[in-house]
Amino acid sequence: MKLKNSSRLFLPLFALVCRLTLAIIFFYAGIEKIINPRDFAIAIYNYQLLPDCTINLLAIFLPWLEVLIAASFIIGIYTRGASLLSALLFLIFATALTINLVRGLDISCGCFGSFSGNISWLYLARDLSLFCMSFFVLIYDRGWRYFFA
Amino acid sequence: MTQNNLSPKLYSAFLEGIIILAVALLIAVVFNLIRPAGINMFGFSSAALIKEQQAKIPEISLSEAYDLYIKNKVIFIDARDPLSYADHHINEAINIYPDEASLHAPSLKIKADQDFSFIAYCDGPQCPLSKETAHALLLRGIPNVKILVNGWILWLKAGYPISKGKK
Repeated sequence: MKLKNSSRLFLPLFALVCRLTLAIIFFYAGIEKIINPRDFAIAIYNYQLLPDCTINLLAIFLPWLEVLIAASFIIGIYTRGASLLSALLFLIFATALTINLVRGLDISCGCFGSFSGNISWLYLARDLSLFCMSFFVLIYDRGWRYFFA
Repeated sequence: MTQNNLSPKLYSAFLEGIIILAVALLIAVVFNLIRPAGINMFGFSSAALIKEQQAKIPEISLSEAYDLYIKNKVIFIDARDPLSYADHHINEAINIYPDEASLHAPSLKIKADQDFSFIAYCDGPQCPLSKETAHALLLRGIPNVKILVNGWILWLKAGYPISKGKK
């Protein structure tokens, strides 16, 4: 087992750092929401974007999706699929945030369960940064084996 | 970049994404069905939520609150910030800021089953925190929550028992 040449390492290594950062964020966000599904349902409702019949289902499903994406990023299985889903999620979050920031609603972000602050343009910038990281992982991630093959 | 062909990558990403979505949905539904705190998957009602949020929370007078305190049948909920709480608070009160209601709901439910009632208070006649915490607790299924308006000042001036430090 030998390590790769350092000049060929930079992009995959940076993708690995992004991947693990995203994993921590998704894991924390997902667990917080799984603990209190009702609170998360209210946070989704406050965005005023979805019909009532879809809110609880999303409040149940989305946290587990986040946890599975985190697990995939950490283990290194299905990372392409996870990074694609991650990019899509952050794009959807950013769109929902933008709509409500333009509407002028002062609502809780709901991003990390009960402990989220109110939505702001800073949160939008954060989501777009995480979208870029997800896209970077999709393109440049080589998995754990790349570093030791 | 070697073999930089995006379309096979995107195709496999798409397939893997669908698998992750399916597994997440399966786990989410099963976990929600078996957990005690599971919610009705299609049962969200915005009308019911608005009704709950607009419900008027009953107030309690200082003498009634003190009476319950003497009988040891009440839990005081200090809705002020943690620093004010640590400085001084009503004896045996617990500190629940509105955002923290969900954390305390399970232990308060146990107390509610033992016939305890709950009195939220904060500092000043216009202080909104006690009302916000009381609403948050009611939304999480805690019954018998009342508000002692201007509770901290009234209790302090009456010379009733207080304590300091975090609990």
